[in-house]
Amino acid sequence: MEVWHRMKRSPMAVIGLVLIIVLFVMALFANVIAPFTYSKQNLVHAFESPSSKYIFGTDEFGRDIFSRIVYGARISLQVGFIAVGISMFIGGFLGALAGYYGGKIDNVIMRIMDVLLSIPSILLAIAIAASLGPGLFNLMIAVGISAIPNYARIVRGSVLSIRGQEFVEAAKAVGSSDLRIIFKHIIPNCTAPIIVQATLGVATAILTAAGLSFIGLGIQPPIPEWGAMLSSGRSYIRDYPYMTLFPGLAIMITILALNFVGDGLRDALDPKLKR
Amino acid sequence: MGFFCAPAFFEEGWKRMLKYIFRRILSLIPVLIGVTFIVFSLLYLTPGDPARMVLGDQATEEAVTDFRIKEGLDDPFIVQFARYVYKAAFKGDIGRSYVTKRPVSDEILSAFPSTIKLAAFSVIIAICLGIPFGIISAIKQYSLFDSITMFFALVGLSMPVFWLGLLLILLFSVRLGWFPSSGFDTFSAMVLPSVALSAQVIAIVTRMTRSSMLEVIRSDYIRTARAKGQTEGKVIWRHALGNALIPIVTIVGLQFGHLLGGAILTESIFSIPGVGRLMVEAIKMRDYPLVQGGVLYVAVAFSVVNLLVDLLYAFVDPRIKAQYR
Amino acid sequence: MKRFTKLALLAAVFAVFTGMCAGAALAKDTLIVANIYDAKTLDPIATNEVATSGMCLHVYDNLLSLGADGAPVPQLAEKYEIIDNLTYKFNLRKGVKFHNGEEMKAADVKYTFERAKSPAGASIRQYVDDINTVEVIDDYTVVFKMKRPFTPFLMALTHTCGSILNKKAVEAAGDNYGMNPVGTGPFKFKSWAKGDRITLERNEEYWGKKPAFKTLVMRAIPEATNRTIELESGAIDIAYQITTNDLKRVQENPKLALMRVVDNSTTYMGLNCSKAPFDNPKVRKAVSLALDTVGIQKAVWRGVGKAPVAPIAPNILYAIKDAKPHVQDVEAAKKLLAEAGVKLPLNVQIWTNERKERIDMATIIQSQLEEVGIKAEIKVLEWGAYLDGLKQKTHDMFILGWVASVPDPEFAVSGVFHSSMVGSTNFSYFVNPDVDKMMEQGKALPNGPEREKLYKDLQEKIDSLTPWVYLHNDEQICGTQKNIKGFQPSPRGYHVLTNVSFE
Repeated sequence: MEVWHRMKRSPMAVIGLVLIIVLFVMALFANVIAPFTYSKQNLVHAFESPSSKYIFGTDEFGRDIFSRIVYGARISLQVGFIAVGISMFIGGFLGALAGYYGGKIDNVIMRIMDVLLSIPSILLAIAIAASLGPGLFNLMIAVGISAIPNYARIVRGSVLSIRGQEFVEAAKAVGSSDLRIIFKHIIPNCTAPIIVQATLGVATAILTAAGLSFIGLGIQPPIPEWGAMLSSGRSYIRDYPYMTLFPGLAIMITILALNFVGDGLRDALDPKLKR
Repeated sequence: MGFFCAPAFFEEGWKRMLKYIFRRILSLIPVLIGVTFIVFSLLYLTPGDPARMVLGDQATEEAVTDFRIKEGLDDPFIVQFARYVYKAAFKGDIGRSYVTKRPVSDEILSAFPSTIKLAAFSVIIAICLGIPFGIISAIKQYSLFDSITMFFALVGLSMPVFWLGLLLILLFSVRLGWFPSSGFDTFSAMVLPSVALSAQVIAIVTRMTRSSMLEVIRSDYIRTARAKGQTEGKVIWRHALGNALIPIVTIVGLQFGHLLGGAILTESIFSIPGVGRLMVEAIKMRDYPLVQGGVLYVAVAFSVVNLLVDLLYAFVDPRIKAQYR
Repeated sequence: MKRFTKLALLAAVFAVFTGMCAGAALAKDTLIVANIYDAKTLDPIATNEVATSGMCLHVYDNLLSLGADGAPVPQLAEKYEIIDNLTYKFNLRKGVKFHNGEEMKAADVKYTFERAKSPAGASIRQYVDDINTVEVIDDYTVVFKMKRPFTPFLMALTHTCGSILNKKAVEAAGDNYGMNPVGTGPFKFKSWAKGDRITLERNEEYWGKKPAFKTLVMRAIPEATNRTIELESGAIDIAYQITTNDLKRVQENPKLALMRVVDNSTTYMGLNCSKAPFDNPKVRKAVSLALDTVGIQKAVWRGVGKAPVAPIAPNILYAIKDAKPHVQDVEAAKKLLAEAGVKLPLNVQIWTNERKERIDMATIIQSQLEEVGIKAEIKVLEWGAYLDGLKQKTHDMFILGWVASVPDPEFAVSGVFHSSMVGSTNFSYFVNPDVDKMMEQGKALPNGPEREKLYKDLQEKIDSLTPWVYLHNDEQICGTQKNIKGFQPSPRGYHVLTNVSFE
């Protein structure tokens, strides 16, 4: 594919892609890669510095931090993709409706999006998370809902630009139902900007989820979510800084990789930057 | 967005602009009602009894029931919502904090200055570093400087602000003792939190400046200026930068508005008494009036910033200015 | 660009220096203290929480205050007389001035307590509910009549809710009184940067011993690490709530001193006595025996506080202090479970809120309970949801804390063990008519050997029925600069600063 070739030209995008693949591998094969389980406590070995046995050291319960980070990849990817999935489908659908039908429907839907956008996303996520209660799944919903307006806007924009075009008129003339037109013709044409947004969105989702866990919005222990690990390591930061160093690095590298890929995709898909 | 309308109406000058501002403010009203509705619903659905939270876990059940009756917490949702909107819209009364009994407005207004200071400082740092770096990167596109700058920009974008804050505290407060790690009264106390918060903004501004400059540099307008024989310096400074500034202004404004929403994580790490922290505490304590009032204030602040950015945009864009003249 | 950075750096360095010099100049006459939270209000009856109490302590005086040995001593009341078990007479000090110049008279005392009993005092109603009437005999004599014998009354007077208010000032300020307090205390209110710091100034007309320093600044620094950092850098004189992680650091720092005292709180794991199988006391006993509470406390709190041996915290009147520490006995636990006919593995849930130490304790409890065949799932709930959830009666085990804000045994037990409090503060749904009767008797008996014996028997009875597994008595740990004298933390959780001086 042409997009793929164009992406390959950017070294950063390639590195990003490689890192993402590594992340996926870590997540899928966590039980093979990690030397310990993420919940096995070993109080005798608590607070050990990084060593050959415990690559990243141990936490306050003697749990191996490296193993927890590996398993944490699973959690982060789940949260990122499911949250984005939620935003994308709900937001995309609403945006498509708004763009396609225009008029009153457009007005109402966009008004609602404006309202959602007026509330700072992290505050909205906190309020939703407090409302739904603790738990990984609720975290995904909270993060997902707060990002809906972004996708709604993108899809609406794309739809508006395509709506008047001939093939849509043709489809209508043939008698296709509105819904069919939306799904078969319009949405596939928005995929480019959506994919870019989604890639960056996964990054934001992971960051938001880490932030919420950091504040203490109920990840049930002993789940090794990276933000939660940062939060619990925070009280020990002066004596055992490695407890916050590694989860923080994990988050940063993941987000970095996603941003590399997202940027690469955007450049590859952008007609204006054809060189 | 507003600026799409700008070229059209500016032809008729100030009156049109005032009308525009008025229309924007008017359109704020349904947004505010919507925001209130969403927050109200979320709070209504959230488990947890404000009465019990506020009175403490040693209070009698009777006291708790009395509180609920006094605040109308057992009334149906519509009644509570209508009551709130009525009082807010027609009496300007957004209630008193359940916890401190102070008017919500007072509580929020005491917290806003810290948040504004933090947001402003971060944005200033971002502008001072981001724009120059972005310009140089654009001019020297594909150079080593460009690659390094873009790399660090992405790093800044990817760094979780709460982690960066912790690292800064560890290095500059604990190990070196140069800056305090909490409070917001002295200038030195503001350094670390502003730096931590500005990392992402710097990254965004740098990238935006670079891409905006690149677009402009390659445009016909600039080619014409070069063809006319203007010096490279003049080309960049006078012509390119002016045009490139437009989307940068937009982004900076949006970021500022965003930060006003409460840089919650930064505020909690550095113990800054800002709006974000106030909101999180209020949610935890189920201090309904404070949460509702806070979100309203933030929504208004954000919308006002958006409006100002749109207006500024209309002024800065020479194409629009030309039409206006 | 380079120029600007240099300028900015210079400005920053300059600012830091100025800050440091200014700080040094203020130090001798200003005491800067850092607490974990900001006070909510300075109206003494508007809430019942520690940060507020800590501030009210310095702005107001009470009829009686808590003495060094934990018993009430006269403050605004020169002397008092217990006329009978329902009647108390107080003779007030003469010539005591409020911060607004008004003299403190019996009418103010009457007003204070009538206000406390009004809806405005919802948070502290339980301490003043038994007061029937407050009579003004003359300008300096007040008589309190109780509805029924209420022995904790004198102790309740030392609580923040007993801060004597000036009727005129309260009525004049109306709803804004919380930000404009007027008391008779050693400090006057000066200013309040909400969420950040409160500034008090020495009351030059104070009737008692005046503080040695002019200004008291109470800062709110929620992050424990930050509090310690500020203490180490000399930016604050006293830091409250030093956490376990910073304990050694403060102890080993030659410029700092550490002070600690066990406080009046008990953290416990409650068992839902209304839900099988925990309705069987044998099963509850088994759970208690399965756990090594001393080991758990040590592992989680690492040298702070201690594992309790009784339901009443050790610094409260008539607490059992000399019982033997809890001993884990896994075999006995297994036997009791078998005797009770419990089908293993038993699946239960441990509920807790987000406090890290509680989650940590639950985690260890979970693994210890597995040894006896109890599979516990930990459910972490957000605080508001937690309290709501406990009312539903569906929980099995839960970790919670209880504080006796008025350090009388009545307030340490009836809220959590009396049958009338089920679903409101008695979340173990513990119902026992004998225990109820003992608590009601204890409330009415005057202090003395009879009351002491009653509460000791009560604690032993509760112990035998095991509605709770006691986990932790916390400590108030404060760090101070070495040159601070006259400071002693109190088990109440808020501390007197009036007697502090700089060496």
